[in-house]
Amino acid sequence: MKDWQPKILAILCNWCSYAGADLAGVSRMQYPPNVRVIRIPCSGRVDPLFIMKTLQSGFDGLLVSG
Amino acid sequence: MIQNLRTEVKKLLKDKKVNIVIGWEKGSLPLSSTPLFIQKLEDVDKLIFDETCRNNFTTYLTKDKRKLGKTYDKIGIIVKGCDSRSIVLYAVEQQIKREDVIIIGVPCNGILEKKKILQKTDGKEILESKIDSKNVNLKGRDLDITIPLKDVLCDSCLTCKYPDAPVHDIFIGKPRKEVDIKDEFKNVIDFEKKSSEERWEYIKEEYSKCIRCYACRNVCPACYCNECFVDQNDPQWIGKTPEVTDSIIFHLIRNLHVAGRCVDCGACVSACPVDLDLRIMNKKVEKEIKERFDYTAGLDINEKPAMASYCETEKQDFIMG
Amino acid sequence: MSSKSKSVMIIGAGIAGIQASLDLAEMGIKVHLIEGTSSIGGRMPQLDKTFPTNDCSMCILAPKMSECARHPNIQIHIKTKVESVAGDPGNFIAEIIEEAKYVDAVKCVACGLCEEKCPVKVDDEFDVQLRKRGAISRYFLQSIPSEYTIDKEKCLCLTKGVCRLCEKVCPAEAINFDDKDKRIKLQVGAVIVATGIDAFDPIGFGHFGYKRFKNVVTSLEFERMLSASGPFGGHVVRASDNKEPKSIAFIQCVGSRDESIDRNYCSSACCMFAIKQAIIAKEHMKGLKPALFYMDIRAFGKDFDKYYEQAKGKYGVDFIKSKVSNISETDKGNLKLRYVLENGDIQFKEFDMVILSIGLEPRKNIRELAEKLDIKLNEYGFCRSDAFTPLKTNREGIFVCGASNGPKDIPESVVSASGAVAEATKYLKLERQELQEKKVVEKDVFGERPRVGVFVCHCGINIAGVVDVKDVAENAKNIANVEHSEDLMYACSQDCMNTIKERIEEHNLNRIVVAACTPRTHEPLFRETITEAGLNPYLFEMANIRDQCSWAHMNEPELATEKSKDLVSMGVAKARDLMPLKRLPIDINPKSLVIGGGLAGMTAAQSLAVAGYEVFLIEREKELGGNLQNIYFNFGKDPQKLLRDMIEEISKNKLIHIYKNSEIKKIDGYVGNFTTTFANKGTGKEKQFEHGVVIIATGAEEHKTEEYLYGKSHRIVTLVEFEEMLYEKKFPGRKPKNVVMIQCVGSREEGKMYCSRVCCTKAVKNALELKKIVPKANIYIVNRDVRTYGFREKYYTELRDKGTMFVNYEPENKPQVKFVDESDPDSKINITVFDPIMDKEVVVTADLLVLSVAIDARKENIELGKMLKVPLNEDGMFMEAHVKLRPVDFANDGVFVAGLAHNPKDMDESIMQAKAAASRALTFITKKAILAEGTITEVNEDRCSGCGYCEIICAYKAIEVDKEKEVAVVNEALCKGCGACVASCRCGALDLRGFSNEQLFDSFEALDLVDVLGK
Repeated sequence: MKDWQPKILAILCNWCSYAGADLAGVSRMQYPPNVRVIRIPCSGRVDPLFIMKTLQSGFDGLLVSG
Repeated sequence: MIQNLRTEVKKLLKDKKVNIVIGWEKGSLPLSSTPLFIQKLEDVDKLIFDETCRNNFTTYLTKDKRKLGKTYDKIGIIVKGCDSRSIVLYAVEQQIKREDVIIIGVPCNGILEKKKILQKTDGKEILESKIDSKNVNLKGRDLDITIPLKDVLCDSCLTCKYPDAPVHDIFIGKPRKEVDIKDEFKNVIDFEKKSSEERWEYIKEEYSKCIRCYACRNVCPACYCNECFVDQNDPQWIGKTPEVTDSIIFHLIRNLHVAGRCVDCGACVSACPVDLDLRIMNKKVEKEIKERFDYTAGLDINEKPAMASYCETEKQDFIMG
Repeated sequence: MSSKSKSVMIIGAGIAGIQASLDLAEMGIKVHLIEGTSSIGGRMPQLDKTFPTNDCSMCILAPKMSECARHPNIQIHIKTKVESVAGDPGNFIAEIIEEAKYVDAVKCVACGLCEEKCPVKVDDEFDVQLRKRGAISRYFLQSIPSEYTIDKEKCLCLTKGVCRLCEKVCPAEAINFDDKDKRIKLQVGAVIVATGIDAFDPIGFGHFGYKRFKNVVTSLEFERMLSASGPFGGHVVRASDNKEPKSIAFIQCVGSRDESIDRNYCSSACCMFAIKQAIIAKEHMKGLKPALFYMDIRAFGKDFDKYYEQAKGKYGVDFIKSKVSNISETDKGNLKLRYVLENGDIQFKEFDMVILSIGLEPRKNIRELAEKLDIKLNEYGFCRSDAFTPLKTNREGIFVCGASNGPKDIPESVVSASGAVAEATKYLKLERQELQEKKVVEKDVFGERPRVGVFVCHCGINIAGVVDVKDVAENAKNIANVEHSEDLMYACSQDCMNTIKERIEEHNLNRIVVAACTPRTHEPLFRETITEAGLNPYLFEMANIRDQCSWAHMNEPELATEKSKDLVSMGVAKARDLMPLKRLPIDINPKSLVIGGGLAGMTAAQSLAVAGYEVFLIEREKELGGNLQNIYFNFGKDPQKLLRDMIEEISKNKLIHIYKNSEIKKIDGYVGNFTTTFANKGTGKEKQFEHGVVIIATGAEEHKTEEYLYGKSHRIVTLVEFEEMLYEKKFPGRKPKNVVMIQCVGSREEGKMYCSRVCCTKAVKNALELKKIVPKANIYIVNRDVRTYGFREKYYTELRDKGTMFVNYEPENKPQVKFVDESDPDSKINITVFDPIMDKEVVVTADLLVLSVAIDARKENIELGKMLKVPLNEDGMFMEAHVKLRPVDFANDGVFVAGLAHNPKDMDESIMQAKAAASRALTFITKKAILAEGTITEVNEDRCSGCGYCEIICAYKAIEVDKEKEVAVVNEALCKGCGACVASCRCGALDLRGFSNEQLFDSFEALDLVDVLGK
């Protein structure tokens, strides 16, 4: 368990948070590489079921940002 | 009361105000009732209303919407408080036209929960029953007990604030008015006090009992989709076997699908063959909706549904930063 | 008639220049966008947040910037100066000089290695000297164009002939020291000046200690400190000790409203700017105590007063009406303010930090530009324009917008930019544009199994320097349905694009995944490429392994490689399910409907007709003119003459069909295809016509008050009634000697928390008129704040110089009004008010009491809003799509708003907004058809139960339940593809093309992760 690293899924709105994640890269801000990003057209697209589905798929955490 | 009800129904049929009336008749077994569809005047006398009238027949208005609604222009329906709130839901969600339904309210004192009775009688067969305003008396072979009503009423009825059909066209009997319930969400508040591990254990244990018979969904007045998400294949929203994570997702999604729509009629609880605690999460969602959006389902036809409206002043404590 | 052209030159690429460019480009006009710095964007990128919504400035601007860069009709000229403009309107010849950039824009991939290695470090202009940059640099992180440029004044190679380090490290070989300045001649039909403003430099204000005291900063410096992308990453600290300040003082009007330095104007934006900074600073530092030292709080814009109240209440900002006379520094670096209250009391207070709210002033180089363009400047050095032609310079064909001709905030700049475009159209050939036809035949992939091609980009060393690109490409070959996978040096270079096309042929690929940079910038490019290879553009997916991987995990190459593999797997999983999508053409009817024949409506109709388009103008009343009919003075200009001229002009114009005394009954349809039914109020006869767009210009109405004994005496009148008296020179009784005006009657109070914006100026204007008639008149203006913003300040000063009393009151202590003889309403009026200057209650006996009553929204807005499916704000005014950047649009296309229907505003502002609305309308009706989005919602009718949640949720009114079929139906013209309806649908009846449930589920499940229960 000591070396355990969580896998986190981030569901990001194309217009703000996804752009923010791009900007973090452009600014060379360093953050842990555990996050996998999925781009959606709007955070309104997120069905509550997505949250359960991603956790069920084995992700340890989920970030919805918009 | 029942005589007045029958007279009123006869009048409605005679005056052609309705083509059909849906109500309850006595079932073939003690403490049971079955649906009664009245079109002929002679059937009216079969009509009953008492603590055995468990089922929420408003589902007939939607599940067969396209049949029943097209066959009959005007439908009369006898309703308890929770039933009438289901009809409000249907009107809000465009499943019925409010003017096509004559809502006949009756004062409800609560409905018996057969599972509770079964516990009291150790499963002995009941051959005869008598109910008065305080107690229920059950008789059978080696059986003769009197139980206080409140011990065998549905949990939903014990916390019901609206026993009187908040929306109705006709009301028969003496209304009980809005009941003052102090601990409406007691089960939720107790549950919230537990640690997240305890809650997770509880939910996991409970939902691992689920056999995915979908009885809860089938009786639910709020579940009227043509094809439930669990039955869909493209996409396959969840696995179809009683695997525990899938069962949990099924129930949680059902909780969310009825969020701001559940009227706590308790039909799912009564229908569940494995006695799942289905009410805890439904009540939790109801509490959240009440606290966040100040919304109670089934009271006002003109109010926008809680889950379809947004107001800038809403609590947004779930947003970080 | 002068000649007409198909191109325009716009000088200045701030938000005004950008907006004007986009509008013109959408009308099919070629735009030359001239910018002095090395990026478009102007002032907005420097701002952290914008008031009154606290939107991130860059987040809302960036999409417009990239749209500008992508638009085929816009040519951006950075580092460029205008030399001269010769010729006539419609046929100008402009000469420009494009400075050498020394970096090949095509080759540069903006990796930043060059700046990292550049030995020169100079103060960065963008971060107002708070940070250093290299001699090779970008203006800011999100610069557009994104390429680096070399500062020839600072570069060691160009100045001393040594170094050339950048050339050595550039992986793309983009450095070119042989680059030369270019002199270019442009043929343009019109010129729009949008050069913006500079910020006042308070260095001359010794008593505030700027640059002497470390903890005194300007508001612009403070803004960069607050910005998360700024030099301090959003963490505000004092320069003296690097500690977070506990208290901050904002000093207003530094370099504004100050005759002693020739700045007798209000900068208009600084009050709100300071309030915003106080709020944002408080959000950053919870215990912070902000205080604001001011003369008047000028929160006159839409929803500004609500923001101001919030600052006072929720955020606890201390507002101190006073003048700061001096600042001294304590030994701890704190700052001691000496300030004078209204009643003359002198007080002292210590703060950790002081922010000087510096004013806006004309560009330093505006005089030079004005000479080259042969246009005149006004007394303050801004470009000169006139109240009734607020977008015109003195030279025909050259227009002005943004803050170049006077202080403006962002939405006003956007409005004026679109407005200037409408003016320019007079000299432009606006031909109706056809839809671009696709030339390549599309392959039918229906029924084929997915054959995915994966291309992994090195991006030089940007990706490959961290991620093992070859490994990622090799790994992708094991993913199901991947037919081909390879790595490419620069996927977006022409030769690599050709490779992709060849591979599509070779392997018969029908889905493409490119693992490279961000789809936000590069997806359009790759989509075009696969289209050329015969694939539907939607059969494409990107994995972002640069911006969101290699750049963010530079020290963990192995994990970054793992992440890249995962991102590719998820991309392939989604790509597998992608389907070809079509964008349906929607025909656009070129006619417009303008609702309301007041100043805004008439102006909009006129602008559309000048551009050559037919307009239906509907007016409810028997006569045109609206509220303009009641305006008689405008500081020397004649509003009634404007009204007469305008009516005459639009009545003559054959393209404008005027229907007076008419009421709208019904509006059906959507952008491009509206049908409106209206009836004559007299005859009741109904008529119907079809049109493509709608402009709402229904105006507003005077507030009906019962306060202050209004209606009880002919001596108590409203502002409008008073103006008529002045015009007719007829007063109740003799000429009034003592006149009291009470401001904010029905404005700025509980339930109506908005400023009616024009009443302060009107009161000043009418007071000046009265002084002309009765020079000895005593005038008392009882006010909350005097909000004579912009150049209106001059008249306020003039009136004060003529001896008018301004008495401030608070809403909890309103003036008391009584008749001198209580039994006689004809008697004079006693007004009792607490005077903070005298520090006691005073009684004024007035011959006349003038009430500055609020401007109210029309009740009819509600009905009209429903018909057009557009929202109102809580005050009943029409609510635009975005308060900052889409001030005349609505969320649903094809409907626009102008004039008082949007918010209270002055005549020049109504004119600008009406022209802006016309210009926005033209961006649609100059097209024969537009394409609907491809990624839109689709309905599975068998599953839909018609519950209507989607209909309530959709912000664009693009989905509704069909009454007959009892299922949801999507209007493909209106759907923006946000997917909110899809998430709301319990039945699974809705799905979003391009982001379908199935596609997303498959990407969630693409990775091999441990099961949730640890199995």
